[in-house]
Amino acid sequence: MLTRIHGGRVIDPTAGRDAVGDVWIEDGRVVAPSERKPDRTIDATGCVVMAGGVEVHSHIAGGNVVMSRLLLPDLYVSESAPNGHPFAHDGGSGSWIGANYARMGYTTAVEPALPPSNALATHLELADIPLLDRGGLAVLGNDDHLLQLLRDGEGRQAVRDLVQQTLAHSRGLGVKCINAGGASAFKDGVLKLSLDDEIPCYGLSTRKIMSALLDAVEEIGVPHPLHVHCNNLGLPGADDSLVATLEAAEGRRIHFAHAQFYAYGVVDPENPMTGGFRSAAERINAAMEAHPNATYDVGQVVFGQTVTISLDILRQFGGRKGAKPKKWVLSAGDAEGGGVVPFLYRPRGPVSSLQWAIGLELMLLSSNPERTILTTDHPNGGVFTEYPRIIHLLMDAEERAKEIASLPAVVGERSGLPKIEREYTFSEIAQLTRSGPAKLLGLTDRGHLREGAKADVAIYRDERDRTAMFSRAKLVLKDGQPIVEDGEVVAWFSGKTLSLDVEADAGMEKRAESYLQDRFGAGLDTFAVPDAAFPENTGTFEDVACRA
Amino acid sequence: MAAWVKGGAADVDAAVEAAVDLLAASRVPVLAGLSAEVSALRAAYRLAETLGASLDPVSGPSLYAELGALSVGGAMTTTRAETVGRADVVLILGNRPWDGDLIPEIAAATPSRGRAAGAERSLLSLGGPQNGATRHVAYAAEAGGLAVSLGHLRAFAKGHLAGEAAYADLARRLFAAQYGVVVYDPEEVGERGVEMLQGLIRDLNESTRFFALALADPFQGRAAVQLSAWTTGQAPRVGFGRYQPEHDPWRFDSARQIASGEADAALWLASLPAPRPDWLGRLPTVAIVGEGSPEAAGETAEIVITVGVPGQSVGGALWNERRGVIAYTEPKAATDAQTAAGVLARIRDRLIEKGVSC
Repeated sequence: MLTRIHGGRVIDPTAGRDAVGDVWIEDGRVVAPSERKPDRTIDATGCVVMAGGVEVHSHIAGGNVVMSRLLLPDLYVSESAPNGHPFAHDGGSGSWIGANYARMGYTTAVEPALPPSNALATHLELADIPLLDRGGLAVLGNDDHLLQLLRDGEGRQAVRDLVQQTLAHSRGLGVKCINAGGASAFKDGVLKLSLDDEIPCYGLSTRKIMSALLDAVEEIGVPHPLHVHCNNLGLPGADDSLVATLEAAEGRRIHFAHAQFYAYGVVDPENPMTGGFRSAAERINAAMEAHPNATYDVGQVVFGQTVTISLDILRQFGGRKGAKPKKWVLSAGDAEGGGVVPFLYRPRGPVSSLQWAIGLELMLLSSNPERTILTTDHPNGGVFTEYPRIIHLLMDAEERAKEIASLPAVVGERSGLPKIEREYTFSEIAQLTRSGPAKLLGLTDRGHLREGAKADVAIYRDERDRTAMFSRAKLVLKDGQPIVEDGEVVAWFSGKTLSLDVEADAGMEKRAESYLQDRFGAGLDTFAVPDAAFPENTGTFEDVACRA
Repeated sequence: MAAWVKGGAADVDAAVEAAVDLLAASRVPVLAGLSAEVSALRAAYRLAETLGASLDPVSGPSLYAELGALSVGGAMTTTRAETVGRADVVLILGNRPWDGDLIPEIAAATPSRGRAAGAERSLLSLGGPQNGATRHVAYAAEAGGLAVSLGHLRAFAKGHLAGEAAYADLARRLFAAQYGVVVYDPEEVGERGVEMLQGLIRDLNESTRFFALALADPFQGRAAVQLSAWTTGQAPRVGFGRYQPEHDPWRFDSARQIASGEADAALWLASLPAPRPDWLGRLPTVAIVGEGSPEAAGETAEIVITVGVPGQSVGGALWNERRGVIAYTEPKAATDAQTAAGVLARIRDRLIEKGVSC
């Protein structure tokens, strides 16, 4: 069926488009303008037309997400969720996640923490998120098998083969390392770790582990660069960790997760841990300017109750006493495990206000929004449904000033946000939420509206109230079919889970089998993610090719 | 595949139709048992949502001892493999952990990873059988049971009680651990006991690393909790009587609902073995049971439909206790057995076709 989206303001920064025009769709793809009469014409007059949104870092599935629901059963209770799908009312459920992303015009979302030791359950959960294409990043950097290889100096080939084998078995879209070596060190009594500190029992450091993974990701040809969660998240002086890690990448492609939580410069060098922090947004952005090999997502904070979920168990243990309400979970797992710590970003509190300001400052100072991806690190900085409000604040300096005026003076004293007059354009918003994340993930078929793109399209009424505009899309197409109309889900499309098309090396498979049998008394089959495990065995997965 | 309706052999299509009629006529149906593979659990949740029914896994008592304590205070946990590989001190609570293969495996090894690698492994027990089969240091439980014993142990550990009591000695041994683990069965320890235990573990972690390793129930309860959480945002027991899922372990206790006359029909799902409830055969019930199981007979319930047994005649994603995760299990022999998920989906589809919805 040939569809013409007519008369909308089409925004596609990858093609330099920002003008009223048409988008043509056929067979689930964007096609060139046609001389044929369209079978369907969608009137987008007065609307903004963009590609579907792409999420690179949102904790939407996995054992720790499940644990957060069990720890805080009342957190997401909702009586105003979309109708028409089993469980769409169920706050925090997979259906709720899919529905709420779709209503905002998002059509792809990636879970950044796919533990290879628990990959099947994570994928089963991802597959139950409707309306979106999904994916997960396989987490490496603390598992004994990898650390053994590195300790024993087995060389790049062995590390590459192990990473590839892990990716193949866990069906990951990319690779992430989370405070590399930190979970292992925590289990051995360490409570603080920096880039070159020794990981007990292995004689390694975060630098060495991360460097090996950076090489492996490049050699395998993983489209998404190594996704890095640095040491010392959330601590004053964490900017030093991020910048040191950036330099340690030595020009190799690297993506930094939730940079806001590292943009904390020390106020008092004599008392770095007790003297508070100030915005290091300028420093982080300057470092990014100097290192075109790097990208980051923001991890914007929003005010209110949330729960922090992280495989960085060293950091989560450190944060346990700030839990609100005062309960938390920490699991010392087979590699990382996970920590679940409830947290309240106190409305108008000085610390949370400064965090809020730093996230916005990072985005507003960025010279290239395609390398500055909008996330809240859901739910760590806040719930992803706050994206429309964040977009509003980026696009509207007056609205931002009103919000700043309601906050403590520390926002002006320790961040540069109040002085920034910049307002994001629609094109920049599309870079921040569409083309940037799609390029980052190596998904060339989305994030834009050029010929051949997947027909994932979001159409918004052009309202001055950007929060309202981006909260409820007028129309969302997934693979060319309407899934949302006037902010409500109209068809419960089931998307695909995107996984990298890699095969495990036979020699490493044999070796991994032997290692796992020795350690677990169970082999690779218990780590597998077979098609047969999924409902009706109907092709849940879609392959993504490696880089040539 | 076999099926029975009111004791008489029937084909599966007829049994599905009868099941649809039985459930459609019910005002307060319950779905119980749920000892089944993940795909069947998933289908059961969808059926319950359509019916407005509640769901109650047979593993309830074990789950709630753990979940209740979890939602009150949280937890610090580890895995079986980390226990075997890292722990230099293992405290075994109660009797039940001694029944399986975990304790012999722990006793047969010494730490091989982490800072305790190469150290002796100290096995301690509290309130155990003291049968001498495995070398360990045994401490008796107090008369009040494990929960009270844990309370006193924690008091000694915190310094709130002093003296040369046995528990003072035990507390010293726990603090001496480099990587300690407490192994226990949540149902045996109980919710209060688990809560106290987790408090003790938090206290120990002020100076060392110490974690809990809870034994899972044998009825796929851990898988049901995960599926329930990602499907509804809530742990079981869950009811859909008011459309939105409501988590309420008391209200949706199937035994209570049936005993009080509140529930008027049930669907019993047990493609894997599960203890047979006493109401099966009394209440109008659809039983979906594993082929070859003792329940695969006409007298089990008003309607009985047999299905493939996951890991035997069909594949399935199952809780793997050794790994502590959901893992896929291939069938031992390829058969054309129908799956529980398939039968549940057929029932649901027919209910929807007939316009039955809560």
